Amino acid sequence: MSESGKSELHKLVAKQLAKATGSSGELDIALLGRLMSTAYEEMEHDRRRVDRANKLMAEELNELTGNLERAAEDLRVQNERFEAALDNMSQGLCLLDSEGRIIVCNRRFLRIYGLPPDTTVADRPIAEILAASAILERPESYLELIPARNGATLHQELNDGRIILVAHEPLAGGGSVDTFEDVTERHRAEVRIAHMARHDPLTDLPNRVLLRERLERALLRAARGGQCAILCLDLDRFKTVNDTLGHPAGDALLQGVAGRLRECLRNTDTIARLGGDEFALVVEMPPSHDHLRELAARLVEQIARPYDIHGHKVIIGVTIGIAVSPQDGLDAAQLTKSADIALYCAKTKGRGCFRFYEPQMGELTRERYSLEQDLRKALLAGELALFYQPLINLRPRRINGFEALLRWNSPERGLVMPGAFVPLAEETGLIAPIGEWLIRQACRDAAAWPEPLKLAVNLSAGQLKSHALIPCVQAALDSSGLAPARLEIEITESALIADTEATLLTLRRLKDLGVSVSMDDFGTGYSSLSYLRRFPFDKIKIDRSFVKDLGQRPDAIAIVRAVTGLCSGLGMQATAEGVESEEQLAVLAGERCTEVQGYLFSEARPAEAVAEIVANFGFAAAEEQTFEPRGNEASGRSARARLS
Amino acid sequence: MRVADMHIDPLTWNATRGWRPSADRNDDAGLVLYFGGNEALSSGSWFEDLRSLYPQAYLLGCSTGGQIGAGELGDQDIAAVAVRFDSTRLRLAAQTVEDPARSRDYGAALGRQLAGVDLVAVFVLSDGLNVSGSELVVGLVATLGSTVRISGGLAGDGSRFCHTRVGVNEFPQSRRIAALGLYGSAVRVSYGCGGGWENFGIPRKVTRSEGNVLFELDGKPALDLYERYLGDEAAGMPGTALFYPLKVWDPAHPDRDVVRAVLAVDRQARSVTLAGDVVQGSRAQLMRGEFNRLVEGAAEAARQALSPPMTGPRLALVVSCIARRMLMGQRTEDEIQAVADLLGVDTVRLGFYSYGEIAPHATSGACELHNQTMTVTLISEA
Repeated sequence: MSESGKSELHKLVAKQLAKATGSSGELDIALLGRLMSTAYEEMEHDRRRVDRANKLMAEELNELTGNLERAAEDLRVQNERFEAALDNMSQGLCLLDSEGRIIVCNRRFLRIYGLPPDTTVADRPIAEILAASAILERPESYLELIPARNGATLHQELNDGRIILVAHEPLAGGGSVDTFEDVTERHRAEVRIAHMARHDPLTDLPNRVLLRERLERALLRAARGGQCAILCLDLDRFKTVNDTLGHPAGDALLQGVAGRLRECLRNTDTIARLGGDEFALVVEMPPSHDHLRELAARLVEQIARPYDIHGHKVIIGVTIGIAVSPQDGLDAAQLTKSADIALYCAKTKGRGCFRFYEPQMGELTRERYSLEQDLRKALLAGELALFYQPLINLRPRRINGFEALLRWNSPERGLVMPGAFVPLAEETGLIAPIGEWLIRQACRDAAAWPEPLKLAVNLSAGQLKSHALIPCVQAALDSSGLAPARLEIEITESALIADTEATLLTLRRLKDLGVSVSMDDFGTGYSSLSYLRRFPFDKIKIDRSFVKDLGQRPDAIAIVRAVTGLCSGLGMQATAEGVESEEQLAVLAGERCTEVQGYLFSEARPAEAVAEIVANFGFAAAEEQTFEPRGNEASGRSARARLS
Repeated sequence: MRVADMHIDPLTWNATRGWRPSADRNDDAGLVLYFGGNEALSSGSWFEDLRSLYPQAYLLGCSTGGQIGAGELGDQDIAAVAVRFDSTRLRLAAQTVEDPARSRDYGAALGRQLAGVDLVAVFVLSDGLNVSGSELVVGLVATLGSTVRISGGLAGDGSRFCHTRVGVNEFPQSRRIAALGLYGSAVRVSYGCGGGWENFGIPRKVTRSEGNVLFELDGKPALDLYERYLGDEAAGMPGTALFYPLKVWDPAHPDRDVVRAVLAVDRQARSVTLAGDVVQGSRAQLMRGEFNRLVEGAAEAARQALSPPMTGPRLALVVSCIARRMLMGQRTEDEIQAVADLLGVDTVRLGFYSYGEIAPHATSGACELHNQTMTVTLISEA
């Protein structure tokens, strides 16, 4: 017990003694005892209170300490999560105070600027941190943003070529949160997309968009004095390569062509691929017409050199139309149109050449444009029709079948013969859908005829080279239900000239379908006999020119005789086309010709007339039966669809 | 300088001897103040005897938790003083309590009764159980302004907390409030107020309270805390809850703390009712009294009252909290002795252990209800 405690007790005892001592000085022991025991009890109570309070206080402090420790642990975990989240952001992040000092930043931020990950950043000015970056040369543009109270973004280009997008976002209480994103890939992609929007992906040449811009720029310069030219280029026979060797070969060829075109240019010239096999060239300030002429000639020569495509030797050509500003057009559209017209004319005059635009070319071209547009509409509007001409068996005399012949019932032009539109269809590629329509429609018509009447259909050289031919014929047979044996495919000698092996393969496949194959216009080609040896034709059709000369030129009969002899020797049928008189018929019958067709029996007539022809003639007539030409028929040549 | 003529006679009453006035009794005293235990106040003819001893005096007193007279601390007797002022005028006002919730109004009404240009000080005695002491003082201050100093206390009932009485020229009754006004330029009044309680344990947050009812601390019932700390003594609540007053402060102003004692408990609601409002969101910390520090707190009250020093006869009205007595037991006399030693033999002391002390704040001077303190009101005439 302390000294002061002792003295307090002494005072207490003294008081108790005083209280227990009566006025006469006697001590009331009992009272003293009560006072003392009460005092002890009071002290004991107080001691217990203090004890209890201390114990409870300790418990509460323990609990509080536990809570604090848990809170600290929670905070630590929270902090770790926060740091993990911060450090795994794809962007760099910096929290800055109002003085531009870093409160916190993540590792990505340091990595972006090539700073060591252990850089001490807290409370240091960001200007000082960035100054240590070897790859950021000019931090000023960003540092100037920091005091701004508005959000802002900017692109930084680092020395290593990366592009960083910086976003500055001020905070309400001062300072800012700034993010740093490596947008190099995005930036490159944007550049790439911008390039792709103006370039042809296959050849990487400028496309139509960029060509137009360059042409307009060149025209602007030319307007200040000078000239500017555009050359429109169209590859010849490119479609053939594409059809026969396939698209990959076509693509390789286009790349080869692009390479050669580039070699022929000056730096100021622009060569563009417009699509397909079309190219165009803008020549700024050509020194002279002669320069353009020489350039065009060089292009024709260079393009015509053989290409080695996947081991195949390929030869194509190019046709060029040239227009020069200001005389051929003052704006891009007009000048390009003039060059197109010149190209068109060049193509009609024979490919593999170039033509400068001349004002009179316009009229011719307009007519052809108009025909082409009408023909496109005709196909959709159902204006094309098939006419049929009977093929007459001579012994016995009866109808073997009909040859399908194409006509165009144009509301504006009347009945148009194939000679007036088929060449254009071939040039423009319209021949493909027309040919497909023809086979399908003819098969459908023939399926309604009495058996065993046959159908003869002409194929163009283009159709023969197309991979789509066999599926097209198969589909036409399948959908019409016409027996393959009733279909005859006629091809001309000229169709056989190009790429003979592939053509012969196609012919064999046709025969595999059960279809018979005839050689049309025999005698007008080059090496007829070698084809006859290499492919088992079912029939040879003697060209009308020989029939027409029968009785007038002695060599005509010799040729007819040779062909019919050849046919009987090789087991083929011999058919004579264009039989117009009894005399011709008599000669042909005498020369062992087995089948004829011509005005003598019937002109080509609409599908609805087939039944009538058959009824009048009888397709299994007796040998003795004779035919009289119909009195009301107009004389003249039958214009047959020759799709080649 | 005129000679002060204020005269103060101590006197006592007990059941066997009756009133024992001093030899030089002033039967022309204007004021008799008395404090006695409920038992003494309700027995015998002490009131009539007092009235006949001092026929002209205001008779003002109340029940106590022990009274402080000239002699030792007593419970059985009645301690009193008869005072004759030279030039100081007195006025006595009374108020009957009908609704404890109207305590502020009662304070205001008493203030209106006493208001006057030369009113210097007011001494208040109030029912200790049916009046909100803090509200009562607020009402008085609101009417009288801050220049009139107010002191006094709430009547007590030992450690029983059953009923308290106040007498205003009549036999003491419960539900009464008395207020004595001292008027004139001669009267000198000084005050002291000291506690000595020490906060301990953890600071807690007042998570739920309504007015002076405290429901929760740190989300737990307030009564649980008291029961835990009191242990066996919890059965003696609300009395024993006084061992642990609460220090309460606004976290924004931690230096402006107040001490709140527990007046009542609600075992159903698990709440404690405090002698003053406690704002939800404020902080609270338990306090406890170590005997020597409590004694030092009482001494501090006496020192404050003595500054600046007074000359001539003077009356010290000592009001101390029942909690101090309950805690200190026999050592309670130590604090009375400490005050007596400082005040000196020239000072006549009278006082009681109360259910609430009223005095100006030691530093701010604002009059308010204190809890668990010793207050000293020192009166003299110049």
